[in-house]
Amino acid sequence: MLHRKEYRVLSFEMWAEKYRPKQLEDMVDQKTIVERLTSFVKARNVPHCIFAGPPGTGKTTAALCLARDLYGEGYREHLMELNASDERGINVVRETIKTFARSRSIGEIPFKILILDEADNMTSDAQQALRRTMERYTETCRFIMCANYSGKIIEPIQSRCAPFRFAFLPRVEHDNYIKHIAKCENVQLLPDGLEAIFEVSGGDLRRGINTLQGAASTNKPVDAKLVYSVTGKASPSDVQKMLITAISGDFSGARKQLRDMLQKYGVAGVDVIRQIHKEIFKAEIPELLKMKLLTITGEIDYRLVEGSDEEVQLSALLARLVEAGYEMKKLS
Amino acid sequence: MPFLHAAWTVKHKPKSTVEIIGNPSAIKTLCDWLQSWNKGIPKKRAAFLYGPPGVGKTVSVEVLAHDLGMELVEKNASDYRTEDAIKRFAGLASQYASLFGGKRIILLDELDGLMGNADKGGVKAIINIIKTARSPVVLIANNAYDPRFRTLRSYCLLIDFKKPNSSSIAKRLHHICTREGILADEDALKFLAQRSGGDVRSAVIDLQALAQGKKNLTYNDVSWLAYRDRQESIFNVLKMIIYGRTSYGAKQAVNMTDVDIDMLFEWIYENVPEHFTDPHDLVQAMDALSMADVYRGKIRASQDWSFTRYVIDYMSAGVAMARQNSKVQGWIPFKFPSRIMMLSRSKAQRALRKSIGLKIRRKCHISAARASAEVMPYLRIIFKNDVHNAAGIAKWLDLDEEMIEYIVGNKAKAGQITAFLH
Repeated sequence: MLHRKEYRVLSFEMWAEKYRPKQLEDMVDQKTIVERLTSFVKARNVPHCIFAGPPGTGKTTAALCLARDLYGEGYREHLMELNASDERGINVVRETIKTFARSRSIGEIPFKILILDEADNMTSDAQQALRRTMERYTETCRFIMCANYSGKIIEPIQSRCAPFRFAFLPRVEHDNYIKHIAKCENVQLLPDGLEAIFEVSGGDLRRGINTLQGAASTNKPVDAKLVYSVTGKASPSDVQKMLITAISGDFSGARKQLRDMLQKYGVAGVDVIRQIHKEIFKAEIPELLKMKLLTITGEIDYRLVEGSDEEVQLSALLARLVEAGYEMKKLS
Repeated sequence: MPFLHAAWTVKHKPKSTVEIIGNPSAIKTLCDWLQSWNKGIPKKRAAFLYGPPGVGKTVSVEVLAHDLGMELVEKNASDYRTEDAIKRFAGLASQYASLFGGKRIILLDELDGLMGNADKGGVKAIINIIKTARSPVVLIANNAYDPRFRTLRSYCLLIDFKKPNSSSIAKRLHHICTREGILADEDALKFLAQRSGGDVRSAVIDLQALAQGKKNLTYNDVSWLAYRDRQESIFNVLKMIIYGRTSYGAKQAVNMTDVDIDMLFEWIYENVPEHFTDPHDLVQAMDALSMADVYRGKIRASQDWSFTRYVIDYMSAGVAMARQNSKVQGWIPFKFPSRIMMLSRSKAQRALRKSIGLKIRRKCHISAARASAEVMPYLRIIFKNDVHNAAGIAKWLDLDEEMIEYIVGNKAKAGQITAFLH
């Protein structure tokens, strides 16, 4: 009994990892990118690269697959993965990256690979320092920079890298992948459930897979209702409730709800604004006002990326909603 | 809706001499002198109370007037004190009694404000009042030894008010807390009393700002005050920004404090909503803060600190100029940035969250921050629904019991999950 338990316990993991492609040929999409990367493997040479594109489109996966195809199973020894949002300072470049980059690789391929994830979160100082490191140690190390926005990577680095643009998975590919996982994991996935998963993930495959796994953990057939209840819980946010609080005129109350979302539940600001955007479309408010609010939402979304404090930016949007509620009251 | 409150300095003003903290002999001297008027006009027709702010000079006069059944006729800095204005006032002093037959006390408060053209000839006029007074005249100032008062002093009985010690201030604060139904730590009150530097009024104002609406007041709630600028209190700076009339004035206020820019930003950000009641004004003020934050983001990304000036412009002048229609009724206390308090309280939780994020990162190839934002919510759902599955994932991620409990948010469930692990 104990043995069986132990065995079963060991077999679980997050499906997004379990079903992450291992080799370039496993990758379902981004065909042109995969083709070019495969040609790098054949030539046994890789330039510095920038992988740019939205989350969950396979940037990190492509980089890992490339390394595995290049070095074989022992690829971990030739690879370093750093995440710039966790270590964004200049010291990381000076110490960790430099030390890794300059040491020679043992084996037939003379260079190692450094994957720098979320590279657009690096300060420009750190990027400047990186630029010299990239140049100096090209012989021994190749950089793959993954970023959501390539525009946030400084020009000199961009010009040293081969650019690759990752797009959201098309609907068919997304659905096939989710269906494949559902089948392997014995999950009963209903058509409207699949539809709902695509709707909430918006083409972000990691999010889609996580949603499927969350829904499947209830041991019920996965339909649209279940998917929405799971994603609703995944962001206990209740953005809608917050919007109502704001429109009714209670700014401080709405701000408190926002704060709880961000601080207590760790919901990402971009997710909050994405949902606000959706809700405004659905809301029963005059069309003209709707357009005004959407314009502002766009403006705040932009500032969210540029600024340094999610709560400050989002509460500026809440103030607009308070104002909108006030105008509506005046009209009626 | 903003909540309007009465100032505690008014609400909890002493009603009798025993409630006044410190200075018993000064009060006794004043009392004796006032009573001596019953036996005819004394040698000195005026008493000059002096001492630092907030030690109870004015309140002593008010309480004694009440106790002795005398009418208090008062002029203070908010009134004009040109020679003419004071002469008109002098008429009252030269009469024997008030309408109701009782004695009067003529109080000239805040004499320190007596200067410049507006108060021209003021001192001379005051001396004339004293010379002809048939009722006691009481003068109050912080510094009786100011050269302007030199001639005035010889006509007055000088009474020195000293700073009360901090333990008696703490006692008073405790008394107020009891009346407000607040359970306060002794340490917290001691701290407030000490940092007031003997200024009881400011201690009470601080207490209200920190404790109002709460059930408990702990040392943690007040200890941040240590950061408060000593020369110009943050409350004054906030007032100059949030109620500033000129962009220049609001901007200048930023220079008056030692509080660093980010902390000042938090103060403004916390207090804007309740002080900008008009929705359009609120939008403008919040928009200014949002722009200030965009420049903070630029500074962080570029390390170019020259952008700081725009951060300051937006958070000070930008906020001040947002006020078009908002009118403020009553006294709304400035509040300590609740976000900071929340952050310091949730420190341990955030550390735990971060360490879970790092565990997820090792397996899932995403940053710790995104791991806790994007993966953790799904983990929570899985952990809640399926104990068996949860145990497997916990093992895979190498989570300890504390982490599991944090994720699932329930001790019993966490126990079930860990039971599977062993």
